[in-house]
Amino acid sequence: MPDAGRDEPSDQELLRRHVAGDTDAFGDLFRRHRDRLWAVALRTVCDPEEAADALQDAMVSAFRRAADFRGESAVTTWLHRIVVNASLDRLRRRAARPALSAGDEQAFEALVAQDGDPARAADTRLDVDAALRILPPPQRAALVVVDMLGFSVADAAAILDTSPGTVKSRCARARARLLPYVAHLQGNRSASESVSPAQGGDT
Amino acid sequence: MRGQMTHLDTDVLAEFRAGLITGRRGVKITAHLAGCDRCTALDDQLAGVSALLASVPAPPMPDSVAQRLETVLAAEVSRKNYAERAQVDRPGESAARDQRASRRGFRLATWRVLVPAAAAVVLLAGGGYGLSLLVGGPGSPPNYTAAGSAASSAAAGSAARSAGRGGPAAAAPSSPAPTAHSQLKSGNHVVNVSAATLRQHVEAELNQPRASGPPKVTSAQLRGCIHLLAGHAPLVLVESVQFEGQPATIIVARTGQDYTAWVAGLDCSATSSDVLHSITLP
Repeated sequence: MPDAGRDEPSDQELLRRHVAGDTDAFGDLFRRHRDRLWAVALRTVCDPEEAADALQDAMVSAFRRAADFRGESAVTTWLHRIVVNASLDRLRRRAARPALSAGDEQAFEALVAQDGDPARAADTRLDVDAALRILPPPQRAALVVVDMLGFSVADAAAILDTSPGTVKSRCARARARLLPYVAHLQGNRSASESVSPAQGGDT
Repeated sequence: MRGQMTHLDTDVLAEFRAGLITGRRGVKITAHLAGCDRCTALDDQLAGVSALLASVPAPPMPDSVAQRLETVLAAEVSRKNYAERAQVDRPGESAARDQRASRRGFRLATWRVLVPAAAAVVLLAGGGYGLSLLVGGPGSPPNYTAAGSAASSAAAGSAARSAGRGGPAAAAPSSPAPTAHSQLKSGNHVVNVSAATLRQHVEAELNQPRASGPPKVTSAQLRGCIHLLAGHAPLVLVESVQFEGQPATIIVARTGQDYTAWVAGLDCSATSSDVLHSITLP
């Protein structure tokens, strides 16, 4: 993020310079945010190759459309929006391929086995990334943006091009769905012991 | 009995935590939580999901991806600069060129010119996209000098070396044949495309203003290659490039709702699908 105290140009200033013809400005902007942009792309599409393609599409689009940025939101919000859109676009394109269905425990186990030994749980990130794959893409994108990247619901709504209520709803469903798969990482008792829908009632 | 509540469902509790359940229903949930250790524990677990996700560090971008994106952005900068230069240069061009430029816009700045000494001139305007392409006769490898937008000038040397493998026509890059299309050449750069930049390159080409007319390819080998790869799919673009250092031809056809782009090697023909790479574009 920009640090005015160290005389670094703000994101908006870099974007303005880019539009004005500064050939280095967009690259600086990209490098400033690249890890977060990579994280949102990777965790949304759940595939490094697809994520790289999505991020490339997004950065080319942002580079060319920079003049369209009107400043209604932060530059980071705008960039994340383009990346999320490109990522979801990728997922739509590969929809014909076999996809994991939500709650597919066998697929989850396979993914965890692929990523590492869950018993060790040495790498929480791998377990979480594997668990995220069980979520439908819109829920996953909302959860990544809000819970993992720390955007407010309002900013997430702008990024995801939907209403704040929908963001909340997607996040709520995603957390509930994810709980049985990540509860062990919290050091608590297995969620499945207490969270089975069969045991729960409704209001 | 009315007012009593069974244990809370995870989805309901998650919605409650997200502020989606308010009013009397919300009050009931709050009251239930106050007296139910089991649901309170579940509530804590749900809170823990967000905390856990927030604590997971973002995966750093792999160096290979970073390098690839830096290359792509550098290509974008070159393309932008080239477009701006072309706009500045255009007033000094001939009237005839201006006329064509006005019809095709920026397209002229990125025409690829391929000029082996004894090349045939092929004007392709397939699927509404114009393309100037000079190819050799059957069995004669095309030469690959181009007026490129995204390639670095350093690539020109590499392209020339690659073209040199093609035989006598290798000298052509520095002395293009005096054809009508060679006048379209506005630079001496080489369009160097890689697997990483192929999609971006093709998308940029497809976004260029279109000309009209059916595609005509006089090279029998190239025609055979196109037929083998694209069948009867409408041809959109045929372009000679350097693909990762070697001469190649990009062939784009409309395949159903999508476009398919093949990068054909020099050996591609009616009987040999020498495909270096392929992608699908929506």
